[in-house]
Amino acid sequence: MGNDKQKDLLQGTLDLLILKAVSLGPLHGYGVLLRIQQISGEELVIQQGSLYPALYRLEHQGAITSEWGESENNRRAKFYSLTAAGRDRLEAETDKWNRMAGIIGAILRTTEEGI
Amino acid sequence: MSLWSFVGRLIAEPHSWLRAITRRNRLEAEMEIELANHLESLTVDLIRAGYSPAEAARRARIALGPTLVHKEGMRASLGLRWWDELGADLRYGIRMLRKSPGFTAIAATSLALAIGANTAIFSLAKSLLYDGLGVPHAEGLRLLRWIGDDHNAVHGMWGEFDPAPSGGLTGPIFSYPVYQQLRAHNEVMQDLLAFNEDSMNATVRGNAQRAVVAMVSGNYFAVLGTQSQLGRSIQPSDDHVGAVSAVAVISDGLWEREFGRSASALGQTINVNQSLFTIVGVAPRGFTGAKNVQSSPDVFVPLSMQPLIDPKGDKGGLLDDPDLWWLDVMGRVKPGISDAQAQAALNVALAAAVRGTMAVKAGDTIPSLELSDGSRGLNFASRVFKKRVYVLMTLTGFVLLLACANIANLLLARGAQRQREMSVRLALGAGRGRVLRQLLTESLLLAGIGGAGGLFLGYLGRNAIPKLMANVWDRDQLNVPMDWGVFAFATAVTLLTGLVFGLAPACLAARAEVSSSLKERAQTTTRRRKGLGGKALVGFQIALSTLLVVGAGLFLRTLFALNSINVGFRTDHLILFEVDPPAQRYGPGKDVQLHQRLEQGFAALPGVVGVAPSGTAYIADNMSNDDFVPEGETANSADAEPEDVNIVGNAFFQNMGIPIIGGRSFCPQDTVSSQKVAIINQSLAKKRFPKMNAVGKRFRTAGNADAWVLIVGVCADTHYANLRDTPPPQFFMPYVQQQEVGGMTYAIRTDLPPAELAPALRRVVQQADRDLPIIDVRTQREQIDANMQMERAFAALTSGFGALALALACVGIYGIMAYSVASRTNEIGIRLALGAQAGQVRGMILRESTWLAAAGIVVGVGASLMLTRLVKSMLYGIEPWDPATLAGGVLVLLVVALAASWIPARRAAGVQPMEALRHE
Repeated sequence: MGNDKQKDLLQGTLDLLILKAVSLGPLHGYGVLLRIQQISGEELVIQQGSLYPALYRLEHQGAITSEWGESENNRRAKFYSLTAAGRDRLEAETDKWNRMAGIIGAILRTTEEGI
Repeated sequence: MSLWSFVGRLIAEPHSWLRAITRRNRLEAEMEIELANHLESLTVDLIRAGYSPAEAARRARIALGPTLVHKEGMRASLGLRWWDELGADLRYGIRMLRKSPGFTAIAATSLALAIGANTAIFSLAKSLLYDGLGVPHAEGLRLLRWIGDDHNAVHGMWGEFDPAPSGGLTGPIFSYPVYQQLRAHNEVMQDLLAFNEDSMNATVRGNAQRAVVAMVSGNYFAVLGTQSQLGRSIQPSDDHVGAVSAVAVISDGLWEREFGRSASALGQTINVNQSLFTIVGVAPRGFTGAKNVQSSPDVFVPLSMQPLIDPKGDKGGLLDDPDLWWLDVMGRVKPGISDAQAQAALNVALAAAVRGTMAVKAGDTIPSLELSDGSRGLNFASRVFKKRVYVLMTLTGFVLLLACANIANLLLARGAQRQREMSVRLALGAGRGRVLRQLLTESLLLAGIGGAGGLFLGYLGRNAIPKLMANVWDRDQLNVPMDWGVFAFATAVTLLTGLVFGLAPACLAARAEVSSSLKERAQTTTRRRKGLGGKALVGFQIALSTLLVVGAGLFLRTLFALNSINVGFRTDHLILFEVDPPAQRYGPGKDVQLHQRLEQGFAALPGVVGVAPSGTAYIADNMSNDDFVPEGETANSADAEPEDVNIVGNAFFQNMGIPIIGGRSFCPQDTVSSQKVAIINQSLAKKRFPKMNAVGKRFRTAGNADAWVLIVGVCADTHYANLRDTPPPQFFMPYVQQQEVGGMTYAIRTDLPPAELAPALRRVVQQADRDLPIIDVRTQREQIDANMQMERAFAALTSGFGALALALACVGIYGIMAYSVASRTNEIGIRLALGAQAGQVRGMILRESTWLAAAGIVVGVGASLMLTRLVKSMLYGIEPWDPATLAGGVLVLLVVALAASWIPARRAAGVQPMEALRHE
């Protein structure tokens, strides 16, 4: 069960990262990967395989939408972009994440004297 | 997650899912392209980073991971996984069913029969008990009904009335003046319509026929909310005495039958009881009128025509008669007013109307008014058939349960065979839920096949069952529509059965312990416990079969008892039909002359041996009675007891073969001018003239109060209105000596079949009057059969159910015993090796099945004793606990059980010890 929870957390995080990446402009799958790695300063390594199920899930839920276009190397590629619903969700999830990070951070910063 | 995004997903997901399954090939190709693109881009980037092309490709593949798994994940993201698994389950299920065609055939056929029977009976029940009138918003219609006590002021009634639950009478009929008063002072209903349906002679395009004519108020179609499909409907301006011209609206059925749906029907005239009507419209298809759900009147005419076409009583016209109550009144409650308020207001209005229109005698009470559901008209069918339909539905429900038990049993046995398969699946990592679902899919698939077959059989049965219930000579067969309600019912029953019979074996399989059943041999896997489950099911089957067989036995014996009744006259070679001269043209005396002319005409036809008209046809649920006041008794109306009477032709007794026991029969010398004579039957002689010779005595009737009637003979008893009642006292008088007779039923004794003689009979009538039809040509045997129609239908249906039950029980017993023998081969081999005789082994198996059958039979007989009491009123000549029927049922079940287990027992006895042991 502990494993599952961790996966859920990662999955939720991945969704958030994808939404953020796509919010900056339409991207194809590999582009999403590159952009996340680029923004994170190559700190985050994403399981490349889990990217696509996540993209499909977000599209299925209506948070992102896709369109076939031409990639930089002149291939037919599927470009994902954020929908209005996705934008709302990104904002909500970002707020939640920040709040949570703040709380967790505060807890972790607590010293013996602070209590 | 906010509510808004939740709603957004609620819309987005089904749309996405639907797109995914409808464009599946494209989706798969796109997934392929996306992953390939990714791989390619990654490889290019890696080459750019300095790897050799081969190494870059290798690293890229490792980084991306297995594409098959990713694609599976992508499909799962779209919610396609269960859809794909369902497809796989179905494919596997079909393969399994095709692998054992015998099992599939038995299971699907028994299910199809059971679901078909249920579907047919349900469509019948739906039509008879639940469907509304064929008018818009039938559910809003209300029927006015009065309830009176024993001193009710309503005395004259023509139409339907019943004993009220509280004593006294209740009826949905009102006099025309009361209807007018109610309508004039109505504040609570939108409007009130009135109608009366009666059978009349109609000549349409030269074809004289019997037609149901609805005499309707001018607002009838408007209140019902129905427009004509062609022309116009009857309007208030048509409905007043002395209307410019008489108009009629015809039914869709009559339009199709007589005019071939031609628009030229408009403007043509039809003759109804000697009055001409111009057709101004055709009622829409499916329109039923306001009275019955099952059939529509053929012709609708304005109510104001009643005095002309359907005169009743002395005055003929009923429109100004406050004493005869004959009109059905319906309406819709005004919006915003409750039924209770409307009823209260109408109740007050009725009391005022009764006092305002008729002279209420001292001591008479005013009936109270009830506003009842009018969505099914007078709801005649529901009241007559309710109990019978419920009994049939219960029985078919039992049959369905039996079929379910049968398949559950077969599946359990199969499940035991597939124990290893399931264990292997579980061992390979299949979830229990997944295995359960696989098995449920298989059983639902089986149920689906059975359901499709059942729907088809139900469709056939829908046509067959009404035929079982209707008279052979009726034109309008009971119309049972096949609709979405029935389809939904069949589907629901199918799903339910699939779940019921599939769940037990599925649970059992999913519960299997992987390691234990993989390690153990088939023979040792807890045979006892599963054997008991299967045996309990078979015992249950036998109990249900016993119940159904006993039920069938009771209804069959009822039919035989009715069939073997001696009705008291010769029923063979008799053709019956009615001639009903309309009172408008054939007044008192004229009708008698017409019948005399017809009697002579019929008698002169070649092939006719004898002719006798009678006022009342026998065994036709007709009766008519008159006061019978013997000379010397006071004619005080309180004492004068009415007796059943029949007005007959002079050749009646000879023609019908009713023996004259004393005195003489009627003869040609009994004429209008001779001494008035009568013949009474033995029961009446015994009742009214005990220990006396009735011949030579005189009596008076109410219908003929001033003339003494001389009893000239005593005849043997005959059944009268029906077969069930004992032959009642009756007296007979020649029709030639009556002032008026109206319609009569002719009985023609002939060797010719009805179809051959009918044209000649019709010609004789047409020569006398071309607008006079001969009605309902049938044989006396058919007439008697019609009286037993319900019993016949019940005997046929319950016998069918009983036979089906026996067949299913047979399969069940065979299955369980065969399985038992197969799994005990080892044990039997040891027994034989240790010296048991073949006969002993056979006996052991037969004993086992006999015990099983006996247990089931005991339960079944117990259930029968409890349940058959409920159908007591539907039986004749036997009690619900009829010992012969019970014993017969038990015997049949025992024989079937023994026969079904004979083959497995023989197989057991034929086991070769060495082979059985080597087999291990």
